[in-house]
Amino acid sequence: MKTTLLAFTLSMIMCLGVRAELKWEQTMIELHPAPNDKQAIGHFKYENTGKTPVHFKSVHASCGCTTAQSQKDEVPPGDKGEITATFNIGDRTGTQIKTVTVETDEAPNQKTVLTLKAEIPQQLEITPNFVFWKQGDKADTKTINVKAGKEFNVKHIKVTSSTADFQTKVEEAGSGQFKINVKPQDTNKITASMLTIQADDSQKVFYATARITNAPAVPVAPVGPTAPARPSAPTGQTH
Amino acid sequence: MAALALLPAAGEAIYFRDKISWRSAIPPSEMITVEQARGWGDTAIWVDARPDEEFASDHVPGAISLNEDRWNELLPQFLAIWAPGKKIVVYCSSLSCNASREVARRLRKEAQLSDVFILEGGWEAWLKENR
Repeated sequence: MKTTLLAFTLSMIMCLGVRAELKWEQTMIELHPAPNDKQAIGHFKYENTGKTPVHFKSVHASCGCTTAQSQKDEVPPGDKGEITATFNIGDRTGTQIKTVTVETDEAPNQKTVLTLKAEIPQQLEITPNFVFWKQGDKADTKTINVKAGKEFNVKHIKVTSSTADFQTKVEEAGSGQFKINVKPQDTNKITASMLTIQADDSQKVFYATARITNAPAVPVAPVGPTAPARPSAPTGQTH
Repeated sequence: MAALALLPAAGEAIYFRDKISWRSAIPPSEMITVEQARGWGDTAIWVDARPDEEFASDHVPGAISLNEDRWNELLPQFLAIWAPGKKIVVYCSSLSCNASREVARRLRKEAQLSDVFILEGGWEAWLKENR
């Protein structure tokens, strides 16, 4: 019993000793980019606190929107450095979590996951950003709801339609909320219009689409149920 | 001894506390296989959620590009071909990719479309079945 306990304790100590070589200042960084920022950059700093050099075997970002670079391939004992993770925001909104997986030669199959969390501010939340009528439908008014993000003070919005086929009217609902009422002129004509939505004091443009669609697609014979019961997808991600 | 055996697991859980997966599981009803999606024929619209360069390199025949890098620009193009009754099959690169679930989520939430499915195995699975 004593021998087993001693062996277990020693193995735990040895494992921890190996892991402690490359010490990360933090493995998760939270960023708050400004509304017009194109990128969010995180610097994951490390130090080799062990007695032997550590080599990076791979540095792999979770999606095509994120790149990760290490300053060096080998980190001598006592040396410091960082992995720079650059997240290209594109048209993403809300909370974005991207990961960078770092593999070193510290221990077989040991990987460290660095997490970049970015809160992308959204000036206007538009729901839905698509309204449609089937051809020949009654030309009822449909409503698009617009809500200003909590960081933004929006008093008025301006809406323009790319064609005269749809009329739009803005109702101010208070507390940074608006309703855009959209009404087609004629639902017999298949047409679409881009609605441009802009807060009064901002250059940022948002879009919604209004459309008269053709008749529904003819359904084909289903292959099995609408969606089969399947096991959950495994974790881990690429793009 | 049994309690002792749990110690390493507890240690791992504490050590890897910052390394949890941030993804919630996709509900089974939102997943679709290549075979099932192909069975939908022209009723399905294939949506490629991968970055532009990967779409340009190759994609499912007839698929339309809709990624979050250029969401505002690409969404109207997608909506122009959508029609009521169509099923939307979104794919990204592989089983572990995340872009398809994000695009599917935004189509449901922002455009309020239904019948949006995620292709199990993504582009890799489609390639395996078709080439």
